[in-house]
This record gives sequence, structure tokens and C-alpha cells, in this order.
Amino acid sequence: MPEPSARIEPRPAPNAHSSAMGTWFDHHLYSLVASLGRLLGKPWATALTVGVMAVALALPLGLWLVLGNVERFAGQVQQSREISVFLKPDVTADRAQALLRELRARRNVGRVELRTPQEGLAQLREKSGLGDAIDAAGDNPLPFLLVVTPAGDETLLADGLRQLPEADLVQHDTQWRARLDGWLRFGGRLAWVLATLLGLGALLVVGNTVRLDIQSRREEIGVLQLLGATDGFIRRPFLYLGAWYGALAGALAIALLTAAGAGLQRPLADLAASYGSRFALAGFAPQQIAMVLVGATLLGWLGAGVVTGHYLRQTRPTDT
Amino acid sequence: MSVLRFDNVSKQYPGGHVALADVSFEIQAGEMLFVTGHSGAGKSTLLKLIHLAERPSRGAVLFGERNLMKVRGRRVALHRREVGVVFQDHRLLADRSVFENIALPLILRGMRRGEIGKRVRTVLDKLGLAARERALPTQLSAGEQQRVGIARAVVCEPRLLVADEPTGNLDPTLSAEIMALFASLPERGTSVLVASHDLGLVKRMKRRVLVLDHGTLADDISPEDLADA
Repeated sequence: MPEPSARIEPRPAPNAHSSAMGTWFDHHLYSLVASLGRLLGKPWATALTVGVMAVALALPLGLWLVLGNVERFAGQVQQSREISVFLKPDVTADRAQALLRELRARRNVGRVELRTPQEGLAQLREKSGLGDAIDAAGDNPLPFLLVVTPAGDETLLADGLRQLPEADLVQHDTQWRARLDGWLRFGGRLAWVLATLLGLGALLVVGNTVRLDIQSRREEIGVLQLLGATDGFIRRPFLYLGAWYGALAGALAIALLTAAGAGLQRPLADLAASYGSRFALAGFAPQQIAMVLVGATLLGWLGAGVVTGHYLRQTRPTDT
Repeated sequence: MSVLRFDNVSKQYPGGHVALADVSFEIQAGEMLFVTGHSGAGKSTLLKLIHLAERPSRGAVLFGERNLMKVRGRRVALHRREVGVVFQDHRLLADRSVFENIALPLILRGMRRGEIGKRVRTVLDKLGLAARERALPTQLSAGEQQRVGIARAVVCEPRLLVADEPTGNLDPTLSAEIMALFASLPERGTSVLVASHDLGLVKRMKRRVLVLDHGTLADDISPEDLADA
């Protein structure tokens, strides 16, 4: 008698079976339809699950969106920042013009403007409203001023300008910029930490929902197993269910944030306009929407996969 | 040719309860037999070992040439496709029609849709359920539900059909009809093992009988001996 083995040889049934690809497609179609049926069969429970997941996803996504806008705003502010070089009082107009030409020739200088003491005084008179007092003072105490717009590393440029023998005072607030950069880095990290924690929360929400669904269908799963359903066949409708939850929650999170952004757009535009800025909130770009939807779908799929895998391991025939 | 062989099989559940002790027997291809015994004698455990709902603690269960101790993972599912199972409580999926319930094992095997329809309708005709194919299980009588359970088990023409108290809730006439149906299966190459505590029914069928008592095989009665008894 040959050695007993664990080999499985299905009974032959010529032309009765689909191709492997056909079977795979049929089983996926079966799972897709079954999972949709479960979603639509319990609309209230589906809405609650999707709602909770959407809020969990919207919080880090919202922070991400805010940070993107702050970075954009900060970029605009930094681009318009200039270095003011006040020349010593004894620097003549010819020397100031020579310096202007010299700086224009530098590669790390984008633009240079020379303001004479007379122009400075006129500007002061106009902006301060102290015209009579200034006229009464007699001599113009203001020096020549070079307003430099950097084209490269502005810190390096500011340091170089400080070395000029004609420079009396160089105004360039690097500390302000360093602080802003620090806050932006912190915000970015905070967004990732929140995304991780709330993403885990979303994963647990899907996992728990699928777990409850599995519990309510234990009998059906048991029957399918006895009929010869593989783990993959049983797992698939739940994976699709998780993926549906994730995709719907991602879409709802985007819709919530877009609605919130639309609500804030007008007051923010008014606020920016009062500072002479035309800054406007930016929403999600199409590739960002695609990324969020794919990510949320995968999150749902993963949550369902973990829970279903755990359940199926528990139902294996026991060895004692 | 042997379809199933138990070699000194014992099963002890966690907690210490011994459900089967040193049980050995063999079922030939095309054979129909009964396993009987009082409640708790080990009938259900014996059936569970066959469709791999449980594994033995000791001994070997051979399904043809296949040692079920070595069947793991995905191959458990493939093995179960060769064993038809009929339950006393039918275990039909309540939200699927009669047709869909019977079609399930064929879908699992990746059969073509046309072939599925053909096979399901053939079985429905044979079991007198043709008019009920669109009904839900809850709309059927107990006898009809049991016949749907049997149809689901036989639609794939399994090598072995195991039935756990299949006539437990049925009247004598229906029980006899179902037993007649089981008796016709060996002609089509399916061996049948029926667990039942209804001794009257078992005697009327005049088939080989395995008698379990507290987990041990107390007797293995041939049809001839049964006739003499």
C-alpha cells in the first residue's frame, strides 16, 4: 500500500470549470457585490461608521492643509522680504551710486534700489503726518539707503553687506525667519503624529465594525468553511467592506474640509486685503485628493484584513 | 477500494473529555452505513474528524490515500469540497434563495455559470424542489429545508456524504423518503455515512451499523447480522 499523503486531487469534471482567471474574477465580483449589499443593507450603521472614520481622517488632513497654506503664506512673505542697508552719514551721493552699481553686478542680488535722504524725508513726512515738525528741525538727518532684494542665500548676503565699509546699519530679521521655520517644522511633525494616531483610530473603527459584522455572520462563515471555502474567499467580502468604508470616509473627509475652507475663504480674504495682501486659501490638489482616497481605502482594507485574519486563525481545526 | 479509514483514532478535547477512544473502521467506495449510539457517544466528533472541523489527538484518519493529519492551510478547504455534509439543523444561509444555497459549493469550485444552473436544477428536480428554487429558507417547511441541505451536499457528487441526524425533526414518511435518497447515492459513486440514534430507522435500512458507546466502537454490525438481530 502506498504511503498516505496529504495530496488533494479534485474529481475531474471536463469543461465544467471556469479558467483560473475566470474563477478569480467571479469570486472577486461575488465579494464586491456582497460587500456593497452589506453596506446598503444597513445604511444607518454605514453612515455612522463612515462619519466617525471621516472625522478621524479630517483632523490630520485639515492640519496638513493649514500647514500647506501657512508655508505658502510664509513663502510669499519671505520672497518679499528685503535687506535695508543704511549708509554712513558721510557717504556722498557719488559713492552711493557707485555702491548701487557694484551691488547690481552681484549674482546673489536680485534687485537694488537707492533711496536718497530727500526721498526718505518725503516718505517720513507722508507716513508720519509730522511734516511741520520735520520742517522745523532744519537739516535732513537721514542717510542714503540701499534696499536690496536677495536672489540667493539672504543670510550670506546680509553678512556680506555688513562688511561694507560704507554700511552703518544692515536690517535683516533672520531670527524671525528661523522662528517661523521652526514653527512650520513643528507643525509638520505634529501633523504626522496626529495622522498616525488618528489613522490608527480609523483603523480600529473599521476593524471593530468588521469584527461586529463577522460576529453577526459567524454561522454563515461556518457554513461556507464546511462547504470548502478558502480563507481568501471568506476574507474577500470583508476586505471589500473595509475598503468601501475607507474610500467613503476619505471622500467625506475631503468634502468636510472643502466645505470648511469655503466657509473661511471670504473672511480670510477680507483680513488679508486689510494688510494689502491677496492671499487666498488653497484646497486639495487633484493628486492630493487621489492620494487621500487611496490611503483611506488602504487603511480600511488593512483594518478589515487584520480582524478577519485573526478570526480565521481562531477557526482552524484544533490539534489536541 | 477504501474511501475512509480510521486507524486507532482517539480524540480528547481540551479540558480532558475523551470523545473517541481507539476507534478503527473502514468505509468502502459505494458503501452506505450508519453510526449510532446514545447522546454523547462520539457520533458528532467522528463526523467532525472526517470534514476536518477537528483533528484527532491520536491515530490516523485516511481519506483515500490522504492522511488528514497532514492536511493543513488551504488544503483543508480543498478536502472539505470532497465531503458532503448534511446537518440536522440544515444550516442554510437565510438571506439566499434555495437556488443560491445549493449553488454555493459549485461557486466555490469555480464552476461555469451555465454548468451551475444545469446541476442545481437537476438536483432540485430530483428532490422535488423545482418549484421552490426562488424561495428563501424561512419560507420552506422543515422537510423542504432538509431536502435543500441534502441537495447542497450532493450537488457536487462528493466521494463521501456524512449526515448528522438528518431525519431528527422529520415525520416517518419524510424520513423514509430521505433515507431512500441516501440509499440511491452509492450507485453514483458516493459513499454515505449517516449518524442517527433512531434505531428503528437504522434497522429498517438493513445496512452496516457502527455502534459507539462512550467514545469506543462497541460493535460493527454487518447488514446480514442486522437482519438476524
